[in-house]
Amino acid sequence: MKKIIIMSCLIFTGLILAAQNVQNFVLKDIENNNRSFNELKGEKLTLIDFWATWCKPCTKAIPELNRIYDELKLQGVEIIGINCDGPRSVSKVGPFSKSMNIKYPVLIDINSEIKTALNVIAFPTLLLVDSKGKIIWIHEGFVSGDTETIIDEIKKHLK
Amino acid sequence: MLLASAVESQAQLSGSNIAEYQYGGLPSDTASFSTFYDRLVLNYNYKSLKASATLEQFHTPLPGSNYIKLSRFSLQYKSREFEIKAGNFYETIGRGILLRSFEIPGAILEDLSYRSRHYFHRDILGMSAKYNYKNFNAKFIYGNPLNYVFPPTHEFEKRRFDNIAALYAEYNIYKQTIGISGMRYFNGQNEKYYSMTTLSGNISDNVSYYTEFAGNMSDFSLNDFSKLSSFAIYGGLNLAFESFGLSAEYKNYKNFLIGTGINEPPALIKEHSYKVLNRSTHVLQPLNETGYQIELFYTFPDLSTLTFNNSLAINNFGNKFVYQEYFLEYDFSLANKHDIKSFIDFAEDPFKLEKNRISIGMNADWKIFNASSLRTEYEFQNFERLGKHYENQIFVLGYGYKSKLILNLVAETSNDSFIVSNGTKIWLGGNIKYQLNKNNAIQIFAGERRGGPACNAGVCYEVLDFKGVEIRLKTRISP
Repeated sequence: MKKIIIMSCLIFTGLILAAQNVQNFVLKDIENNNRSFNELKGEKLTLIDFWATWCKPCTKAIPELNRIYDELKLQGVEIIGINCDGPRSVSKVGPFSKSMNIKYPVLIDINSEIKTALNVIAFPTLLLVDSKGKIIWIHEGFVSGDTETIIDEIKKHLK
Repeated sequence: MLLASAVESQAQLSGSNIAEYQYGGLPSDTASFSTFYDRLVLNYNYKSLKASATLEQFHTPLPGSNYIKLSRFSLQYKSREFEIKAGNFYETIGRGILLRSFEIPGAILEDLSYRSRHYFHRDILGMSAKYNYKNFNAKFIYGNPLNYVFPPTHEFEKRRFDNIAALYAEYNIYKQTIGISGMRYFNGQNEKYYSMTTLSGNISDNVSYYTEFAGNMSDFSLNDFSKLSSFAIYGGLNLAFESFGLSAEYKNYKNFLIGTGINEPPALIKEHSYKVLNRSTHVLQPLNETGYQIELFYTFPDLSTLTFNNSLAINNFGNKFVYQEYFLEYDFSLANKHDIKSFIDFAEDPFKLEKNRISIGMNADWKIFNASSLRTEYEFQNFERLGKHYENQIFVLGYGYKSKLILNLVAETSNDSFIVSNGTKIWLGGNIKYQLNKNNAIQIFAGERRGGPACNAGVCYEVLDFKGVEIRLKTRISP
């Protein structure tokens, strides 16, 4: 009995120490193509941005994410925008994204399946994911001054 | 140890927790009291399997409102081609015309009748199975959608009165998607059958469309659509040329409220982030509503943006009600440093007896140091009701240090006769949000908060007034 309890404790310790991984998923992009995480992820790092058109901090972050994408793409960093607009506003995602000239792929998570699977509980949420799919950094919200924090964190993990 | 390491490499335990303590009450309460709400979500992943459980609890001195419930649980198997879920899950068919489930992040709902608090979501308890193969997707859904009006203190039969069985299949070819769906609705007394067809896709890189048509099969006739007593038609067209974007949508809904409201056709009314406008929204009437929404976006070379929205909703319940709104927003940077958003809005809202409703406002983030900013907000609204003019105003003064620390002082005033009996009422409150570390954030509110209709993530609901202190701790369970 003692052995079982010790073994259970060890397994549980192992479990709670394991960082959450992003498992491969498939969503439609704004061009109506099916795109998978494995196909879009960065060689070294992937920054996933969960956003919605009605969320003002989310739209404020977009030009900054474009800038980060330009600066770090050649260093093996990809950005994936996962839009979580519901049926009420999802039709605006395509024209809005094109008008904002979003340079990275934008996927549509209309059922919030990926958002729920990755425990995203606020907009915007940025997840920094390593090449093995492990979530290594999480950032919620976006205000002035956050761009430098995001770049610093990415560069820290690129070293 | 070896076993632990082996499991560690493949299994994950993750989750989140929201704990909220309130001391105070509604303005109508005779005395202040304490309440405590907590929602713990735990997910366990092992290879293709996932198990999830949600423990929700609420404690209050008010009799009959306390509970500790395992409010959600689910098991999921997912492979490249199959996905099977059992327990509680979220699923939407098309754009929500037949079935819509949702979860509003961080929203805790309280109803004036029950005075119990619970998480704001509408899930389905049952099972679903999905199959994907190349360009073909199909899903089957069976279960009982949640009627979120009733808190977890109520019995299963009341909260999950509706029962559905639905099949949806779609096929993609050359960037075009055709989808068909059939749904059986049953509530123990009534049985109805609905069908839906969707056609969507991209005509070119710059033009896309979406159409959806659903009807009650019991009165369906291929020869005469006019015999349909209940139907929903939705269409949307999107255009994008360089920095210009356009979204145009049309709706025509007749007697299309399914069960206790398990469906939610697109409202085609803009969801505003500005408080006076968010509160003034038109709530969709799926029993009888036609209308449209047009939204235009333009991004200037300096990355400032212009947004224009026009929406129309006509409800005919013997008397004709016409809601119409025009909204214009300009979002720009001053000296490439300070972010300014300004808007002007004009609306006619006969449901609320509001005529010539004009709203204006400006939100600004003034960057003061590298990572700090001062925030100022001012919103003003004026409208006419039965020959009298009323005003709503909002003032916000805030400070932010990155996303780590955010402080806001909020003042609202109103002389709306639907809200205050006479004179002008002032609501004054302050809130602090502090990110303790990467997994924990604390939010504190103190003062008086104005309630009313609110829309969040596409769903509108009623928020109650509150006076007192509220402390919320958000935790992410992850190393």
